Amino acid sequence: MFALTDLHLEGFRLLSPEITLVTVSLVILVMDLLGRGRNMTAIALVSLGGLALTAFQLVAAFNDQPATAFGLVAVDKFGNFFKLFTCGALAVVIFFVMSDRREKSTHIGEYYFLLLGAGIGIFFMVGTNNLLLLVLGLELLSLSSYSLAGFHKGEKRSAEAAMKYIVFGGLSAGVMVYGVSLLYGLTGTLNLKVMAGVAGAVGEGHTVSLAAAVTDSPGAVAAAMVLILGGFSYKISVAPFHFWAPDVYEGAPTPVTTFLAVASKAAGFGALLRFIGVLFMSPGTQEAVAAYGLQVGQLVAVLAAVTMTIGNLAALRQESVKRMLAYSSVAHAGYILVGVVAMDKAGFDAAMLYLAAYYFMNLGAFGFLLYFHGVTGKETFESLNGMGYRAPLISISMVVFLISLTGLPPSVGFYGKMTLIYAAWDKGINWLIICLLINSVISLFYYVRVAKHLFLMKPSEETAQPQPAMTGFLVAMAGLTVVFGLWATPLLEWTSSSMDLLAAR
Amino acid sequence: MIPVGAYVAVSVALFALGVICIVSRRNIIYVLMGIEMILNSASINFAAFGRYNGDGLEGRIFVIFIIILAAAEAAVALAIVLNVFHLFHTIKPSEVDLLRE
Repeated sequence: MFALTDLHLEGFRLLSPEITLVTVSLVILVMDLLGRGRNMTAIALVSLGGLALTAFQLVAAFNDQPATAFGLVAVDKFGNFFKLFTCGALAVVIFFVMSDRREKSTHIGEYYFLLLGAGIGIFFMVGTNNLLLLVLGLELLSLSSYSLAGFHKGEKRSAEAAMKYIVFGGLSAGVMVYGVSLLYGLTGTLNLKVMAGVAGAVGEGHTVSLAAAVTDSPGAVAAAMVLILGGFSYKISVAPFHFWAPDVYEGAPTPVTTFLAVASKAAGFGALLRFIGVLFMSPGTQEAVAAYGLQVGQLVAVLAAVTMTIGNLAALRQESVKRMLAYSSVAHAGYILVGVVAMDKAGFDAAMLYLAAYYFMNLGAFGFLLYFHGVTGKETFESLNGMGYRAPLISISMVVFLISLTGLPPSVGFYGKMTLIYAAWDKGINWLIICLLINSVISLFYYVRVAKHLFLMKPSEETAQPQPAMTGFLVAMAGLTVVFGLWATPLLEWTSSSMDLLAAR
Repeated sequence: MIPVGAYVAVSVALFALGVICIVSRRNIIYVLMGIEMILNSASINFAAFGRYNGDGLEGRIFVIFIIILAAAEAAVALAIVLNVFHLFHTIKPSEVDLLRE
């Protein structure tokens, strides 16, 4: 008979952030149905309040021991980092939706509901060692994202973006599920820890550690790895699965683009780091599995180099700032992968630090884009001409974000890139460091171009309409970008303590 | 008992057909069918491996979830395709190309 035991209650306690988020999203849905489009501000405030409550619960649970709820959901500091990251990113995206001048839809309630739904997907995706739950979380995130990309139903570009997104997304989800099925066939389990042969982790039924599978059928293991990494590559827009990114980023509403570029990408990295980390590097992993991990690292190194080069070269010849930022976000995925290649705790720390840096600078850059799109109705470089003098605070903040995106001091982006280079240097992956440096120089060209149009071109006749909340937000983000660039200790300590998956090596 | 290799052979064939269906890209409905075929090929794998894995239920549970996933994905995909058809009056991916370099 089913009875509620202490174990269940403990599971519910561990899952309280997720439960809060689910409840709030349902409340929003009901409010939207009852209010018929009249209580938009109230819905937005409820969403923000729900996110704040979730974040509070996450912070309160920060120092708890790692635990597993219902045998599926791993509650640990690593997941906590990405869940807090998601809460922060979602709050900013909701703020963007509220301050989007071009947003005239009366179905905003659904917008927030889909955003929070995607957030719930992220929570489960980054917080599990079980491949079934990982796939389900990823799909919940993806399905919400498809609908969000096509949110402007009457706009051709939005509809096209959604279509391209679901075609690529569906394909890569299928490919990933197929890879998972092979891995299940080889090892007899879906639990990453059991696969890795970690002592004490026991699966149901007859299980084989990956170590045996690697020696018995290397071809099948390689196929499974390639297919699963392919699925992850799509989520974090890594070449050769990045083709959807520019089109979808350009066609989707700007707040949705922000969500895809920041929250969705970080979630993909969270799941990827956990997959690689738990499978190949957790304490007690068998030698053969760890050695196999190093080979996977070689593959990731090539992906990283190709991705950053493709992203930067394509960004050079864009006329639309939004599309340029899309390619820039592809390039940044390549930079973050450098941390994965190092295959040790320092590398994973660096990847997470860079993600934290990416949060500040990319949210800032997209906020700038949203503001100027609201003023001029265009997204081209030309439309920015001379606007630096019309909206000085916002433009100067943008210059700070651009400096940080390029990776120049004194900015958090510089610090993040430096940490990545250190991690790779320790492992002697020098060719990748050189590639990263060359790419940073390339990226300088297109980032400077924005500043040039803002400050050195003849102003157009457009007048900037002030938007105090957005200005305040951007100035605050720029301030944080500089502050954490000069004093990164808090970020560094947070990311380093969050990496509790791995054995110290 | 049928050897597990036979099931894998069928699923690999179905997977390959699905990929071909997507890559040829004549019509968006073909593409969606291709995605379904890939998901179903994974289902075959999970069911077969679950059967040969003894007591473990994980594989068979995964099959049920894949069916749900496929249904949810088809619902969202068809809504999006319907919207594209309203706006573009075509569902050929090659003719829906406002967003490009």
